[in-house]
Amino acid sequence: MKKSLLFSLFFVLIMALPAWAQQSRTVNGKVTDQATGQGLPGVAVLVKGTTVGTATAADGAYTISVPGDNSTLVFRYIGYTTQEIPVGSSGTVNATLSVDEKTLSEVVVVGYSTSTQQSFTGTAKVVSGERLESKNVANVSQALAGEVAGVRVINTSGQPGTAATIRIRGLGSVNGNRDPLYVVDGVPFSGSINSINPADIETTTVLKDAAATAIYGARGANGVVVITTKTGRGKKAYIEVDANTGTNAALLPRYSTIKSPEQYIALGWEALYNQAVATGKTDPVGIANSTLFSAKGISPGYNMWNVANGGELIDPMTRSVRPGVTRKYDPENWEDYGFQNSSRNEANVKFGGSSGKTNYYSSVGYLNDVGYLINSDYQRLSARLNINQEINKWLTSAFNINYARSETNNNGQSSDSGSIFWFVDNIPSIYPLYQRDAEGNIITDPIFGGGRFDYGDRTGFSRGFGGLTNAISDATHNIQRHNRNELNGNVSLNVNIMDGLVLENRFGGQFYHNKFVSRGNKYYGGSASQNGSLFLQRTEMFSYNMLNMLRFNKAFGSHSIEVLAAHEATDWSSNILNASGYSLVDPNILDLNNTIVKNPSSGYTNSWSLESYFSQVNYDLDKKYFLSATIRRDGSSRFVKDKWGTFGSVGAAWVISNEDFMADQSIFSNLKYKVSYGLIGDQAGLGYFPGYDLWNVDNLNDKPAFSMQTNGNPDLTWETSKMFQTGFEFGLGNYLTGSIDYYVKNTDDLIFSRRVGPSRGIALINVNDGNLQNKGLEFDLTGNVFQGKDYRLSLGVNGEIFTNQITKMPIDPATSAEKIVDVQGLYAWSKGHSIFDFYMREWAGVDPLDGRGMWTVHYVDANGNGAFDSGEQIASLTNYMAENPNENILVGTTKVWSQATQKYVGKSAIPDVRGAFNLNAGYKGFDLSTQVLYSFGGYAYDGAYAGLMGNGLVGNNNWHTDILGRWQQEGDVTDVPRLSNNQDPNVNSTSTRFLTKANYLVLNNVRLSYTLPSSFVSKYGVGGLSVWVSGDNLWINTARDGFNPSTSEAGSSSTYRYSPLSTFTAGVRVKL
Amino acid sequence: MKKNLYIIGAALLTFFVSGCEKEFLDKQPTQYLTPEQIAEAAKTDPGLLNGQIAGLYSTMYNTGTGGTTGHDDFGQKGYDIYSDMLASDMALAGTNYGWYTGVARYQASSDYTLNAVYMPWRYYYRVIYAANNVIDALGGTDAVQTEPLQRHIMGQAKAMRGYAYFYLTQFYSAGYGTGQEKILPIYTDSKQPNQPKSTTEEVYNLMIDDLTEAVDYLVDFNRLTKDQVDATVAKGLLSYALAARGTTEDLNRVVALTNEVINGSAYRITNENELYGKIVDGVLVNPESGFNNVATPSWMWGVDLTLANRLNLVSWWGQVDYYTYSYAWAGDPKTMDRNLQNSIGAKDLRRKQFHSTGRPLYKFFDPARKIGGQRQVTTDYVYMRIEEMILMNAEAKARLGDDAGAKEMLKKLMVERIEEDGYEAYETYLSGLNGQALKDEIFLQTRIELWGEGKAYLALKRNKQSVTRGANHLFFAGDTFSWDSDEMTFPIPQAEVLNNPVLND
Repeated sequence: MKKSLLFSLFFVLIMALPAWAQQSRTVNGKVTDQATGQGLPGVAVLVKGTTVGTATAADGAYTISVPGDNSTLVFRYIGYTTQEIPVGSSGTVNATLSVDEKTLSEVVVVGYSTSTQQSFTGTAKVVSGERLESKNVANVSQALAGEVAGVRVINTSGQPGTAATIRIRGLGSVNGNRDPLYVVDGVPFSGSINSINPADIETTTVLKDAAATAIYGARGANGVVVITTKTGRGKKAYIEVDANTGTNAALLPRYSTIKSPEQYIALGWEALYNQAVATGKTDPVGIANSTLFSAKGISPGYNMWNVANGGELIDPMTRSVRPGVTRKYDPENWEDYGFQNSSRNEANVKFGGSSGKTNYYSSVGYLNDVGYLINSDYQRLSARLNINQEINKWLTSAFNINYARSETNNNGQSSDSGSIFWFVDNIPSIYPLYQRDAEGNIITDPIFGGGRFDYGDRTGFSRGFGGLTNAISDATHNIQRHNRNELNGNVSLNVNIMDGLVLENRFGGQFYHNKFVSRGNKYYGGSASQNGSLFLQRTEMFSYNMLNMLRFNKAFGSHSIEVLAAHEATDWSSNILNASGYSLVDPNILDLNNTIVKNPSSGYTNSWSLESYFSQVNYDLDKKYFLSATIRRDGSSRFVKDKWGTFGSVGAAWVISNEDFMADQSIFSNLKYKVSYGLIGDQAGLGYFPGYDLWNVDNLNDKPAFSMQTNGNPDLTWETSKMFQTGFEFGLGNYLTGSIDYYVKNTDDLIFSRRVGPSRGIALINVNDGNLQNKGLEFDLTGNVFQGKDYRLSLGVNGEIFTNQITKMPIDPATSAEKIVDVQGLYAWSKGHSIFDFYMREWAGVDPLDGRGMWTVHYVDANGNGAFDSGEQIASLTNYMAENPNENILVGTTKVWSQATQKYVGKSAIPDVRGAFNLNAGYKGFDLSTQVLYSFGGYAYDGAYAGLMGNGLVGNNNWHTDILGRWQQEGDVTDVPRLSNNQDPNVNSTSTRFLTKANYLVLNNVRLSYTLPSSFVSKYGVGGLSVWVSGDNLWINTARDGFNPSTSEAGSSSTYRYSPLSTFTAGVRVKL
Repeated sequence: MKKNLYIIGAALLTFFVSGCEKEFLDKQPTQYLTPEQIAEAAKTDPGLLNGQIAGLYSTMYNTGTGGTTGHDDFGQKGYDIYSDMLASDMALAGTNYGWYTGVARYQASSDYTLNAVYMPWRYYYRVIYAANNVIDALGGTDAVQTEPLQRHIMGQAKAMRGYAYFYLTQFYSAGYGTGQEKILPIYTDSKQPNQPKSTTEEVYNLMIDDLTEAVDYLVDFNRLTKDQVDATVAKGLLSYALAARGTTEDLNRVVALTNEVINGSAYRITNENELYGKIVDGVLVNPESGFNNVATPSWMWGVDLTLANRLNLVSWWGQVDYYTYSYAWAGDPKTMDRNLQNSIGAKDLRRKQFHSTGRPLYKFFDPARKIGGQRQVTTDYVYMRIEEMILMNAEAKARLGDDAGAKEMLKKLMVERIEEDGYEAYETYLSGLNGQALKDEIFLQTRIELWGEGKAYLALKRNKQSVTRGANHLFFAGDTFSWDSDEMTFPIPQAEVLNNPVLND
């Protein structure tokens, strides 16, 4: 508190400055906006060639002292054309400024103030609302894909209305938060990004470096996405209507799997045969024949052929189905029933304009986005009202409010047997979707009509895959639904204390209520034995943010300075209430009174808060030299003992092209150099209460029982990133514009979940220890290939190249030394390695003699026989070498996966370069834009493929068509081991066998639009009319069909993932 | 200017007003509670102090206590299934979903990366950690307790610590051996960093001391519910530990302790009506059967599960019971080993506990007996019953060479198990058994009596027996495994080997 008092004193001193400069004669006047006639506040008024200057008041009035009659006043305002007016002998000089369409686009909303691209010392990339709107997605996070160098947008699910995961500049933390901060109209945003209709967004700015993000101290370490919604400022009243309609489809390829039941059953037979051979049985053919349709093989009910047993079905010589064998029925292809072509419809109506001292923007939007998976959709009705008002000379206010009401249905997407994706890719093609009678006819469903879904629950029909479940039936008859009402907005009141000094107060609030209902139907599936079940979850989130800020702006001569100081407080809480019951009366009523038996209910509140003090100074000299300095102190409720952290940054920019010595050259139309350094923090990622030990509150005989949930660390505190950046922005004539940035980001006191030997009673402890370094280069280039009166073509490319390295590991208290290696599933963390360096067993191919898989083993030849023997293996190479530096380590192979050595395999999930290509072309009213995302270099683990290359019991899982290349007889040289009915259980366990090149090219967006000539439409009283067609996510190229490394952070695949939608739409926009 | 001053004043005021309260940054959890919150609440509600010891018991049935989200991760009864499968008395008769495949195939016995290896390790050391937390609060492992309340809490905590170390020695070491094998790290307070392995002797000494002290401390403890450890349960646990070490002195103590339990407590042998479900015209006529009710008079230690415990598919019933919405129903049935089933005498009532397929359809079941029916588990868990004491008493006597005493004790149980018209024949048969043959008979009766209760593996190991898998096993049918074979023991899990840098120091 003392600090803010000091700031205030500082302001009082600065305010005194202009008084000392006053001279002979006073000129006053008013600056107005040409479009609205309103006074413009904050316009810089300078006496040309001197250091004298002032800024206009809230009503646009100003007073300035000028040295003499031949002075000229310069009126400068961001986004408006600069005017120069000679004073002459007049005592009043009024100016009218008009919006500069060219510079308007250069306004950058950064942190707590606005800047221009040229004067900003940090790195901020502005993406126009228009650009974002050209993509057919529900929220801005998905639309950012490919727009900004160094910003990775990961569409983790095709479920309509899913917010994308965003990563800015590498991987900033190990276990802490890696998500950027969203700021909407100046308020840090904790609501759901879906509630903001992309049609309402004027611009989105991505802040990347410390100079740009340090002002958000506490939460700026992973970058900031600043969203500014539309206003009516400077516009005549208008109505704009746009509508589009289209279709969603599953256009991206899936894994190539065995679709022929005959092919599948023959492979199954072969597996049984091989197993019998491998276990030394005397009659392998007989065993395979008798086992194929049996309790130990495929349940006899699923014999879909007109044969009695395996012997009649399979010819042991060809190991395939005998010619002439006929089917009783054709089992359904589950994909045909799980997926659909679906519709996408969107309409927006926007009103805006300004009149007198008020401007407004309002909109209503509707979106209905239906996914290609059955019963997956997203519907949203949204409305927004933004009002800015000048109340009197010294008071202005703004009021923004946004409401969104949405319904999401997301059936069939759980990460278990409820997943339709798992069924579609993994169910052996012999299993039908609908139950069949003995003759092979579909059995009718007595309740819902149509075919009766097969759950594999009849006697003689024990389905080896997903027994007792049917994800398509469940998705059809059950309900998984979220209904959400969300309100967010802010009110601000700005007090113009005196010329250039403004007190800004803003209260931002976000609220949502989400009602989730999961209904299991009475008749089939997991809830049938309970006669139906109902689970309800209500979540109520409320977050507020309070900001009080003093801002001082002053321009004198060629100097201008902005100083701000502020206090900000954020409080977030989310209350959750769960209730459930079973035995439904009415099959469709989704309220709890419809259940006869109630389960115990539960509920709790999560909360956090942040308090901050900060100050920033921005200075520029002569529009050539720019300096910015920020300091911020944050306190976080997430830490118990050590709540406060101090952050800050300094940045400088030099606009070389504004120098006199550049005046005569014509190569660079623009050239700017910038450099910044800063400290930014993060405190999230470990839940809400990482500082405390947490105990379950259990009920044991209606008495309390407190059992350990998680262990906390009260000493846990801020993770600090130190980021250095330098870069150029340039323009080469009219042909090429671009920017290049280089950064080094060292994150210290990493929030690190350090594994401990679980005999300690805990498995993990969260500590601040270890350091991580990210280094990267980002480029963004746009070339105007040609530009004429009627035609234009530009090509752009952006991208990032980065490295990530752990530079210090946390201390292990058992040894008081740095932990050597922390194995994290597919990866291991150790000094000198990235957090995504693969650490696993190495595949050594298939032994041509017996068809078994082999893996590399490192061993110490304890018995000196020159060969590997069981027990000599080294389990984990990095640990072993650190502990036994002088041991003679040999390398061999083993056929026992668990004996193989885990080690760094020299591959990483981090790509060499990734980004996007953009092409824009136009001819008269036609515009064509195309965006292609790319990533080259790097590997990913294709776990979904591994699941399809397994060797489970016959009937347990389908195979990828690559299985056709399996080992079949002695001498076969192949990389696919024999099938053996799970005799060799680890063939598809984690190893380098499934590390796959993660290169990809995605055709992310194509859009063709036509704008009718205004001379034509104006005859009908229409201000503008355009039509378009567009396609999203149309094509992908990766190492393997079905493998889409763009959908997860490290590129890994999952058999449960809802692969992104492909969308085609056509739309129209009318402006009145 | 005057107006400006007002405004500046107002501005400064807003600066001061917003967020000055110190509590603003103090947020407390409500989903789970901190020890500090519980301690604060206990100031005015001292009954809460028993909550932490009760937490040791809820850990025994809570899910995820083995550190995974696996559907086989549900505390003690989960590891009872592991041990029954290692001992091979429980056969995995289907692998639609594949839970337990790694155990039934003995992969977990050699592959230290498997979750099946990790989970028991994590679970039992979690119990030790929580017990140490309680012990620390009472002044540490060597603090002597005199006040009854503290004594009872310390007694229970030490009993649970002894229980956990006992199961660790069973799963992760072959047997007592010379006592000098380094097997497990020992922790006696909750603040210790990772420790190196201690010897078998040290681990056994610790758990026997703990359990001995528990018996002593709990002598006047009248428990409210059967989920708690009282002196009788502590004696049972101590008997298991002593019998596993098996010196002559230990076995004498086992005889004395089990005699105290058999003669000094109200528990009685499960009677015929409680033993197996009788179905008449499709209706269960003896609802006291099913091994699903903690009130059963033979149960010494168990827990009354209610809706409040929130157990469903992920539970012992969800894995074993055909009449629960279970994996046993969904294609992964757990059945009795065919050899073992065939060895049940024709006149033995326990034959009626099992369906001809080996499914325990009449031993363990939800009382509603609707196939795949029970969704929220409210059938109870049994941890220990009086028959174990009788069998262990007979076994200890036989091991000490007191064949006559052993037979007398065994008859106490068998007279309740053999139908009247067959009992005489059994007595004659039994009288002819001596030495190893008698020990084998006691071992066999232990396996039959306690099938599915997690006891056979303990008996197999302490009696140094071997088992031959029956024909109904999916894996290794016909193969024989000895108590000290690699298959019968889990390796120390990878997570410990990689993350405990002093493990082998």
